[in-house]
Amino acid sequence: MRTQTYILNMGPQHPSTHGVFRIILELDGEVVVKAKAVPGYLHRGIEKLAELRTYPQVIPYTDRMDYLASMLMNWGYVAAVEKLMGIEVPERAEYIRVIVGELSRIASHLVAVGTYSVDIGGFTGFLYCFRDRERVLDLLEMVSGSRMTFSYFRIGGVADDLPPEFFPTLDKFLHDLPSLCDEYDGLITGNEIFQARTKFVGIIPPDVAVNYGLTGPNLRASGVLYDLRKVRPYSVYDRFDFEVPLGKNGDCFDRFAIRIKEIRQSARIIRQAVDGLPEGPIMAKVPRVIKPPKGEAYAEIESSKGVFGCYVVSDGSTQPYRVHFRRPSFINLGYLEKLLEGWKIADVIAILGSLDIVLGEVDC
Amino acid sequence: MFGQGLLKGLAITWKELFTRKVTVQYPEERLPLPARFHGRFELDVDKCIACGLCASACPNKVIQMERAKVGKRQYLTKYVMRIEYCMFCGFCVEACNKDALRFTHIINMNQYFRDKVRLVLVDRPAPEVIPEEEPAEAPEGRAAKPKAGAAGKGKAPEGEG
Ligand code: SF4
Ligand code: SF4
Repeated sequence: MRTQTYILNMGPQHPSTHGVFRIILELDGEVVVKAKAVPGYLHRGIEKLAELRTYPQVIPYTDRMDYLASMLMNWGYVAAVEKLMGIEVPERAEYIRVIVGELSRIASHLVAVGTYSVDIGGFTGFLYCFRDRERVLDLLEMVSGSRMTFSYFRIGGVADDLPPEFFPTLDKFLHDLPSLCDEYDGLITGNEIFQARTKFVGIIPPDVAVNYGLTGPNLRASGVLYDLRKVRPYSVYDRFDFEVPLGKNGDCFDRFAIRIKEIRQSARIIRQAVDGLPEGPIMAKVPRVIKPPKGEAYAEIESSKGVFGCYVVSDGSTQPYRVHFRRPSFINLGYLEKLLEGWKIADVIAILGSLDIVLGEVDC
Repeated sequence: MFGQGLLKGLAITWKELFTRKVTVQYPEERLPLPARFHGRFELDVDKCIACGLCASACPNKVIQMERAKVGKRQYLTKYVMRIEYCMFCGFCVEACNKDALRFTHIINMNQYFRDKVRLVLVDRPAPEVIPEEEPAEAPEGRAAKPKAGAAGKGKAPEGEG
């Protein structure tokens, strides 16, 4: 019998692509022969928009990249401008940045865990994660006034101090968080059907992960110990005691499970940061009009998806000459086409979901 | 034993069935908003000195204002926010050092037509002279159509959150 392959379009409008993302699949029956990823549907030209804004005015646009962890996107950008201008950020501001940044990481991982559960077919896990993410968003809303696009970081510090009502609410949340993580582990991670769907599926060997420039939980799930917060501590991360969870097999299951472990570690960091929160100013002394000297700077932070870098070039005016963002989700997608080959359609969803991409950041 | 994980999951969902509800019946019941919430804007016309700092802080050129020179002072005649382009980043509110522009807790800004979205906070003709004594009252009395401003009732009629 003579058979032939056929082409199937997955996306751009597909719930499990978590945004608008298209994969052109060449299929032999149910098996993927070749896959082609087509990003770009959410491209807004943020880098270009930044060139027509003053330095502080770029901050709200960074929110709109990884909108699930906006605080971390803010951080990457302001870190680059601060490096360019040689601004020393006050300690209290650094601690506040760590607290809100880790909260943002928790919120982002909760979305990753929850949506992965629903991708595999477990709706309850999705609702539990979103229920708890709501509590993180409430906390960040108290601080910044917004629920998703915070625009809370400023060049040289943060916009506002933490409000008094923030601390008891945070304390309660941190107290509950371990038991909530146990709940996800019991409901999703320990589920045999879930394990059968994800274990040894979409394996990324460590050397391949490194060669393709993967970062974040996707890299660490392959067993490579690389977390900027540990290997090249920025801000005040060298003062906190936390572990970097690692995976063993680099399969979908590891990529999923590592995120729950990271949530637990983030809670540890926040606890230490709140306990050690120093008094002092929350803004460095910066000029009213931000006008960095001619030059360029590149700064990196560990976002929830991987290494988020920002490259800023200044021509000495009030507007950046060029801004470029190294977006982890985009680079993590690089290996997707190869990774999908040989797997079935249902596994395509499982593999894509396990990479935890955010299309706002992929397309920028 | 295979299936243990499934049973554990079931136990968790059973436990959750008997815990307190986390949802509220939204339009009737509402959760309180935090003090810093970014809702609709309000402008205290009497405090505003028409300096334009808010407009120049805005990344999206949302704020359009017109002013007239009355005597020696700048008089704000028009203050329109093109809310459809607003990102609610709060840079404008932060830039205002007269505490004239503020966020309210009004969340309902929906309009059926796009041109109605625009938020007209001030639209009034300039007076001939500004009486030095009672600057708070005089413009109010003379303005043909006092809009919004201090009262916080923007152009959007049914926009109360
Ligand atoms: S909130 Fe931001 S986008 Fe909206 S008017 Fe103010 S500065 Fe402009
Ligand atoms: S609202 Fe504030 S910043 Fe804007 S023009 Fe009035 S006084 Fe100036």
